[in-house]
Amino acid sequence: MARRVAVVGAGMTKFVRRAQETGKELAWEASREALASCELALDRVDAVCLTSAPDAFDGVHMKGEYLSDGAGAFGRPFMRTYVGGGSGVFTAIQAYYTVASGMADVVLAVAEEKMSSTQPHPQGAFLTIFDNVLERPLGPNLLWIFALEMNRYMTVHGLDKRDIASVAVKNKRNAADHPAALLGQADITVEDVLASETLAWPVQRLDVSPISDGAVALVVASEEAAKEISNDPIWIQGVGWNLDTAYWTNRDLVFPEYVANAARMAYDMAGVTEPRKQIHVAEPYDPFDYKELHHLEGLLLFDKGKAPEAARDGVLDRKGDLPSCPSGGLLGVGNPIAAAGLMKIAELFWQLRGEAGARQVPGTPERGVAQAWGDLMQVGTVVVMGRDGGPPTTATEVETPPLATPATSLSDAEFRSATGAVDDAIGAEYEWDAGVAVGRFLDGLREGRIMGRECRNCGRVLVPPRMFCERCFRGTDAWVQVEHTGVVQTFSICHVSWDMQHLDEPQLPAVIAIDGSDGGFLHMLGEVTPDDASIGMAVEAVWKPVGKRTGSILDIAYFKPKAEA
Amino acid sequence: MLEKIARPEEVRRWPGGMPVRHRYTPGVGGDAFFTALRERGILLGSHCAHCGYRYVPARLFCERCFSELSADTEVGPAGELVSFTIVFVGIEGEPLDRPDVLGAVRLDGADAVLIHRVLEPGEEPLQIGERLEVVVKTGSERTGSILDIEGFRRTD
Repeated sequence: MARRVAVVGAGMTKFVRRAQETGKELAWEASREALASCELALDRVDAVCLTSAPDAFDGVHMKGEYLSDGAGAFGRPFMRTYVGGGSGVFTAIQAYYTVASGMADVVLAVAEEKMSSTQPHPQGAFLTIFDNVLERPLGPNLLWIFALEMNRYMTVHGLDKRDIASVAVKNKRNAADHPAALLGQADITVEDVLASETLAWPVQRLDVSPISDGAVALVVASEEAAKEISNDPIWIQGVGWNLDTAYWTNRDLVFPEYVANAARMAYDMAGVTEPRKQIHVAEPYDPFDYKELHHLEGLLLFDKGKAPEAARDGVLDRKGDLPSCPSGGLLGVGNPIAAAGLMKIAELFWQLRGEAGARQVPGTPERGVAQAWGDLMQVGTVVVMGRDGGPPTTATEVETPPLATPATSLSDAEFRSATGAVDDAIGAEYEWDAGVAVGRFLDGLREGRIMGRECRNCGRVLVPPRMFCERCFRGTDAWVQVEHTGVVQTFSICHVSWDMQHLDEPQLPAVIAIDGSDGGFLHMLGEVTPDDASIGMAVEAVWKPVGKRTGSILDIAYFKPKAEA
Repeated sequence: MLEKIARPEEVRRWPGGMPVRHRYTPGVGGDAFFTALRERGILLGSHCAHCGYRYVPARLFCERCFSELSADTEVGPAGELVSFTIVFVGIEGEPLDRPDVLGAVRLDGADAVLIHRVLEPGEEPLQIGERLEVVVKTGSERTGSILDIEGFRRTD
């Protein structure tokens, strides 16, 4: 029988564009504040759970070990977990099971990110989340994934971009009341968002959260320890996490089923049967404005396609019927990736205690949900927290937390001239094997054929092919040649390169469902103007001349609108 | 299911990398250490009044008890050789023209050790426990870098 687990303290640094502090100094500032918030000394901590996103951001290999002293791990059991953008919420889950299992009574959960170290742009560290053989030759850009998902979400549900932009407005306005926020703005309007630079249509500059540095920490305790440490523990009632397929081109881009699966797991544990009634405040993951809506639907708080009108109608406002991201979220407070997720748990802690000050949602919220998302854009991590009938803090006047918010922001000039700074490159060069299935697929492309693998158990034809079926978990059975035609599932009109340089000619990346298969892949559209491209358009492969093919995804030059039969 | 690779030159392999560089800034503790080294040619450490531990270089916090620290302690310039190694090959395994001698030295006033080169140790074998001292470059040559320290030399 799992033990009951509560959060008893929280702390965070300011989220800033460039922190003077090192990663470990940021981790220490947040951890010290979390301990101070519940008047605990470090020697009461039994174990430390830490998270931070890719090592390539900080340029420190084994970043968990590097950060460990700032997280209070000296001489203690310590483990870094990492599920990409889902990490911040996941480290609260890690702390939960470390305590629930009886392995520790008091755990410090710490999330840190320092993205400012990465030059010329942190997107460089993200490029390898694309398939190195099948996708990177196309010259992808992280924004593609979001733009492609957003376009399909908008098109399938017939959504208005204004309604989506209203999420960015809400969060940046909410963040104006957050002492640690990077991008709080009380007077921003939907027009401002819609007038901002188009990066990769439909994604515009103000639809996106900022690159940031920062850290967040929580103190998590067993029931016995929690009651001794605090008069007002906030209980972790349920946790859930779930993965979708790693092939993002083989995934439903409209509804995040993996978030729904994670939410069901957490709600079942928490005894939540009607989330829309039993959840009173939400902190869904909002690296882009549409993602908050996508995730609210995944959290089963709105029907599919219905969250945008809730945003438009004020339902998600701090004083609305279901306050969403009252903190200001990633769009407003900032997005130091792993830290941003744990910030959401800290916000629920303050909201449920009635201590959120200027950010406090009205009434006495009994239960909240926080969620993050990431990995290869296919993990959902969910935590349900509640007061379990306990009274909220009775203090009538509370300062708006976090109360002490260290982290010193460096200007660009200060960053460039910092004493003792060192510039270096890891210089990691690789040669990636195509592997068995994709190697044969590339041989087929050289011969002008698109090949798939058939699984005779589930009946699917897998494109890109694999030698095993990940659903049936058995070897696939046979090679089949599929059509070189397909249907555009989604596309984007991209105006920037991965290092955010403006492109003279926009690119048209698209996900193509290949006819005769159950999958598809990323490629480019050609012989079509951006205005004429559409979801649902029938397309056909345009092959390079035989002599110029090399056994590469680029043996298909692009896909063009299919000629009339 | 696994295919035998008869002609390895035909194995599909894709060269690539991660196009990132990094700028490492030394933080609050490091800023105090490197500024003092550049401006004054001295090594600053941090003393934790709670634990008694004396860190060098200076730090913002004590990892043992989480106390806030400042760069309040000048250490060295002399200290005790805790360990050393003599390096005969470079990072790619190539022989070095001159072996590199690296020492770990506990400077007077510190509990932590500092790693740096041992300068011209001479014929007499180094002995763990012997006294070495820090050699700092002259003022105009110092930039605020760990290389503002030339290394350790034997005190005789």
